[in-house]
Amino acid sequence: MSTPATLKAKWFWYSILCVLSWGGWALLSKLGSKEIPADTMQFLFTFGALPVALVLLAARRFRLEKSPKGIGFAVLNGVLSGIGGLAFFAAFRSGGNTSVITAATSLYPMITVVLAVTILRERLTWVQVTGLGFAAAAFIIFSF
Amino acid sequence: MHLPPWFWFAAIVLISWGIVGLLQKLSTNYISAESSLIWLVVGFLLLQPFLYPGPAVFNYPARSLTWALLSGVLNALGAWALFAAMKSGGKASIVAPFTALYPLVVVLVAPVILHESISLLQGLGVLCALMAVFLLST
Repeated sequence: MSTPATLKAKWFWYSILCVLSWGGWALLSKLGSKEIPADTMQFLFTFGALPVALVLLAARRFRLEKSPKGIGFAVLNGVLSGIGGLAFFAAFRSGGNTSVITAATSLYPMITVVLAVTILRERLTWVQVTGLGFAAAAFIIFSF
Repeated sequence: MHLPPWFWFAAIVLISWGIVGLLQKLSTNYISAESSLIWLVVGFLLLQPFLYPGPAVFNYPARSLTWALLSGVLNALGAWALFAAMKSGGKASIVAPFTALYPLVVVLVAPVILHESISLLQGLGVLCALMAVFLLST
């Protein structure tokens, strides 16, 4: 797709909105964690996320798929996301550098890729292998 | 080797959110992306009784409470925008690595808003992390 066509594409602007939103989320997480402990941050964070879920629910006319497996995985997803969120806020509260912590915690796809290979038997592309190499390098650098 | 406290918290984030990445894929095999987000928030709500801070929550400055609530809004808005980008024709192989570049916003804005600076070595680490996330999400 050429550049002007990309700039006219809806997906591009949605992606920009996502990058700006998540960038803002990380910055506000740091600002809030200066005075609020991690567990309370996660408690309040959930009330912030709730309206977005309700809007999506209304947009779907309150009809959700009834797949127990899908629902089970998604709920477990929420529980683990929440536990990760707690640690995320705790990392900021421990006083580390915001840019470094955000970059280090954004390396989580590394674990997903390793799990996808071992559990789902997915194959790694050479691009992903290169990515794992960069992730390892980042870890070694951050540990100094 | 003495590792800073944040490093261990970051390791917990990596493991839990790394598993989340796998669960996201598994859940969207059965239900839509929007339903996945709605049930994810249900999962958040399950943790609320364990996190309930009691009336003490009102003792924090209003400004900090606003940041905490807004962080939740922005996180969910970003997740919705990601789903919307994929639904409106964006290829997952482009959208996923593109949206994974959100730490770049922090790296650019943190020095201005938070008055934080990073060392050359940390900058190199951030660069490696950004490259890793971009390549891993492809």
